[in-house]
Amino acid sequence: MRATAADDHVHGEQWAETSHCRVSGVRRFGAFTALELVAPRIASDASPGQFVMVTVPGDGFLLRRPLSLFTVHGDRCGLLVEVRGAGSERLAGLEVGGTVDLAGPLGSAFPTQGATNALLVGGGIGCAPLQYLADALSATGASVTAAFGFRDFRAARAAGAFAIERLWVASEDGAVGRQGTVMDVLAELDTSPDTVVYACGPAAMIGAVQRWTLHEGLRGYASLEAHMACGTGSCHGCVVDTTRGKLRVCSEGPVFALDEVIP
Amino acid sequence: MTGRLELDQVTLAVELGPLRLEHPLVDASGTFDLLEYARRYRGDFFADFPYAAYVPKTVTAEARTGNPPPRITETAAGMINAIGLENPGIDAWVRGLSEWARLRQPVIVSVGGNSPDQYAAVVRTLEAHLAAAPQGSAPRIEGYELNVSCPNVTGGLQIGADPAATAAVVGTCRAETRRFLLAKLTPNVSDVTVAARAAVEAGADGLSLVNTFKAMVLDRQTLRPFLGNRTGGLCGPAIKPIALRMVAEVAQALPGVPLVGMGGVVSGLDALEFIACGASAVGVGAANFTGFEAPFRILAELRAELAARGLASPAAARGLALGA
Repeated sequence: MRATAADDHVHGEQWAETSHCRVSGVRRFGAFTALELVAPRIASDASPGQFVMVTVPGDGFLLRRPLSLFTVHGDRCGLLVEVRGAGSERLAGLEVGGTVDLAGPLGSAFPTQGATNALLVGGGIGCAPLQYLADALSATGASVTAAFGFRDFRAARAAGAFAIERLWVASEDGAVGRQGTVMDVLAELDTSPDTVVYACGPAAMIGAVQRWTLHEGLRGYASLEAHMACGTGSCHGCVVDTTRGKLRVCSEGPVFALDEVIP
Repeated sequence: MTGRLELDQVTLAVELGPLRLEHPLVDASGTFDLLEYARRYRGDFFADFPYAAYVPKTVTAEARTGNPPPRITETAAGMINAIGLENPGIDAWVRGLSEWARLRQPVIVSVGGNSPDQYAAVVRTLEAHLAAAPQGSAPRIEGYELNVSCPNVTGGLQIGADPAATAAVVGTCRAETRRFLLAKLTPNVSDVTVAARAAVEAGADGLSLVNTFKAMVLDRQTLRPFLGNRTGGLCGPAIKPIALRMVAEVAQALPGVPLVGMGGVVSGLDALEFIACGASAVGVGAANFTGFEAPFRILAELRAELAARGLASPAAARGLALGA
């Protein structure tokens, strides 16, 4: 409504986390779409592991979609979208020059202090925040190895969206990388005792990584995904079970210590 | 209807029973956490608080951990949730009151439970705390909203669907407080006016309606119920026409009883429609999840919608949909 546009603007400015962003790049990788957005404030405030709530453009959608920050370069933020339903399909269909509203950065970040040897373990769309993390760790001089698992050839094409020097890929149908799951990759890696594990992926993978790190005597962190409504701590819709009780993925997470997660 | 008014010719203040509200909008319980918002606001959120009264998330006598995840997902023109009244319990809750004592607006405390005694225990504990609380250590608590209509816990929905049980909860709480008492009604009944009348006859000063519609969503792969609780409560624009009908029915059956109308309000026009159906105040729920600025936007739109119709106040619009 025209008469109120000025008010909206004033109040929008008051929110630390609301941004109206232009799409500056779109790359498609099988089932995944990498969006690059001009989002200077989010880019300057964010840390790896944090996420944004993205308004689905156009009519017909009520809730925003939580998406991890995939990359941050200069004033640009990247998001990786996997089409899972009508909302993500709309987001994946954005074109260069289009605009989208983001709220963020939200949630907790991956602790990186003191991590000199990092092992990044991703499954499917869960690989997204690990690119940003790899970039940040590499910038501190840490040694970064990544192991990613994908379901099938369409998902595995997403591997092409990543730029990580030591990246091992597994796909369940063997279309890309090694045939099998990311756990098969981990079984073949030599890890030093000071390795810090960073995992993001489906609950079954988080559980498997948790057991593996326990067995290997490694510490680590997991970023969890959940359906969200508010994304900002109000609705308690996104809770997960942890050793500290039910915690909100949006505000106490999405990053938790690996040993406190109950997948 | 007269011609168009200028925006500044519209006065938004309303009365909700004894409460004087700056405007008609309140948050629907459980959708808007004051402290989480304040943490994310660049300015002083207490100074710019968008609602005319604050209805916090429902509090129960004992702490509740809520339902197993997943608890939420989007549906066509709405969303479904099964949170299960997760809350720290009234004892921990009152200890946190000082954190938002600065709120200028009145607070309407949403109370939940499984039995009249559990509801009354919450009211009694809070009244005792307020009686002993030093000046300025608690917000202005001016009322209660008895949530007898949560579809996601054992007991809650059943109370609201049973007029005698509703009356028992209201009557027991009425004996504990002189503050403004609302009963929040469930839409999951064939005639909403029955429980409405029972609540008022038992001592409720006003009514909030509607809570969510009991509903189910399936996992599209497994065809099993998606929510951890199997069923949940449907809200959002999908329910607005049914909510409007129910508010109108109660307004006609119980004229003069203050009503807080809610169900799928995402715009100023939606809010105006609830007022036209007889509501004095309007609850905003799911819209809070669409963006931080939603209540500011809806309020500005409401003013513009009133002005466009030559209506100088919400009172001038109240009940326009009622009658022949």
